[in-house]
Amino acid sequence: MILSDMKKYILFALGILMISCTENDLEKGYEPILVTFEKPSNFPDLVYNLDANPLTEDGIALGKALFYEGDLSSNGAIACAFCHEQASAFTHHGHTLSHGVNGNIGFRNAQPIQNLGFQEAFTWDGAASHLDLQPIIPITSELEMNETLSNVIGKLKADEGYIIMFSKAFEDGEITSSHLLQALSQFMVTMVSSNSKYDKVERNEGTVYTTIEADGLASFNQKCTSCHAGSLQTDQSYRNNGLAVNPRLNDLGRYNLLEIPEDLYKFKVPSLRNVAVTFPYMHDGRLSDLESVLDHYASGMVDTGTIDPSLVKADGSLGIDLTAYEKESIIAFLETLTDQEFLNDDRFAEF
Amino acid sequence: MNFSKTIGALALSIAIISCSSDDDAMENLSNQTGELTVKFDNAVGNQDFIFDSSFSKSNGESFKLETLKYIVSNIKLTDENGVEFEYPTRDNIFIIDEANANNAGEIYVELDNVPAANYTKISFGIGVDQTRFAQGAAGQGDFLTTAQDAGMFWSWASGYKFMRLDGTYSDATVTDQPVNIHMGSVGTSLDNYREITLDLPNTSRVREDSHAEIHLVTDILQILDGASSLNFSDGYDQVHTNEIETPIIANNFMGSFSVDHIHN
Repeated sequence: MILSDMKKYILFALGILMISCTENDLEKGYEPILVTFEKPSNFPDLVYNLDANPLTEDGIALGKALFYEGDLSSNGAIACAFCHEQASAFTHHGHTLSHGVNGNIGFRNAQPIQNLGFQEAFTWDGAASHLDLQPIIPITSELEMNETLSNVIGKLKADEGYIIMFSKAFEDGEITSSHLLQALSQFMVTMVSSNSKYDKVERNEGTVYTTIEADGLASFNQKCTSCHAGSLQTDQSYRNNGLAVNPRLNDLGRYNLLEIPEDLYKFKVPSLRNVAVTFPYMHDGRLSDLESVLDHYASGMVDTGTIDPSLVKADGSLGIDLTAYEKESIIAFLETLTDQEFLNDDRFAEF
Repeated sequence: MNFSKTIGALALSIAIISCSSDDDAMENLSNQTGELTVKFDNAVGNQDFIFDSSFSKSNGESFKLETLKYIVSNIKLTDENGVEFEYPTRDNIFIIDEANANNAGEIYVELDNVPAANYTKISFGIGVDQTRFAQGAAGQGDFLTTAQDAGMFWSWASGYKFMRLDGTYSDATVTDQPVNIHMGSVGTSLDNYREITLDLPNTSRVREDSHAEIHLVTDILQILDGASSLNFSDGYDQVHTNEIETPIIANNFMGSFSVDHIHN
């Protein structure tokens, strides 16, 4: 009897605690707690303009909720996170092409969401020139989330939780498309992967490469960095790397943007951070592992007319000469770009 | 006699001068604002534009349209003293959609809280300038939703369509071929935003107690038959983000606008 009374008492006390906790959470109002963005010392300058969209705790929290929100899609089931899973550095694990509502198949491989504040343009062809405006592409694509901004706003306005979250994240508290996109950007800008072994070596944090990793880095520097340049392994340019045209997709790449013939079949040089977990590779996910990627550069390139000059050898043939050991060691080096802290960071996790 | 005539004329002119300067002194325009309506009226040459009617171009091609809309932004007025008034940036962006026109084919842009003055020039931009675009979502306000609902935002690229004409064309060899001319900037790579300044034929008097109107005519034939003559059959039936074609369309479009008249 006594014990069960105690239990009841404890439960009751707990209940009060929970209620008061929830009530606090439910209080509306804009009392921003500013978050300082700390750029890793080995990173380039931030491109994203935080002055126009200052990071706040509530803004980031709202962005995260929206990132995992199925109501951004027409059938309520396809959140951003559907194709951008944390364990795969926010790519669509193992899928060649992204999937959308009602089983639709997109036409490109989902790119990782990491270090986006350092990028000048987004998507494989650079069709989005501002991070805030990038999510409009998947949200409105019929093949992906198949929704309109006004429908999304309508759904969020009917949700008490979002009414509170927007009121805390933005001064006027309004649920608008610009606030939606600003919150998503705040969350995405904080998604920085900078604690791989590679970073720790670069920053002299007491870690060193193994012999094969060091050999791989040497070969990488010699043969890959004309495109995969800098700490993020991309010069952010668009290039044709000699992939045969898949007639089923006939993806013209950056040509779609300005219809310049020289842009045919050019795609953005991707960052290689967490590359070991973002398989499959290339804009259409045609290559399933890193061995296949290096085999492609060594011997698989085909001439589709706008091949990048850096991939043409002196004798006019295409590709990069790579020995078996060079391939093996480059892969060992690429694996040092995997950042377990990022892949397991609770700040970005759904639950 | 002559002398008295001169005196009389002199007296009269003094009276007029003092009268008008009295008027100016009495009319205190500071802190006074009024409303101004800018009317956009689409036309094809000397004809009013009408959906699904066939219009002819100089090269023998004809066209019919079912969509005609464009983005106007950054409206600015200059008064007789050269003082400029730019409508507040956030609200200074509009979609001029023929489908929203009244029965006379006019689309109204209502500007309120315009400082009272005698305006002699109007300027505006076609599309979205790079500064506004570079501000990301924060700079777009609700216009993103408005533009997307109006089909003025590409779904495959993050950019606005500044102008869209959809319909068909016919010539001696083809009939009712699809026409889709969608012109805009492409991120920061291609800037098709253009600004236009037009002199007003007489001053537009904005006052608290009156409602001024500036009636513009947009001759859309200039888009195709303007500074550059364009043939649908040469590929101008389908224009999207092409680096060569879209600036030509943007430049032609600048020649479409004129002030028809003013109401004070």
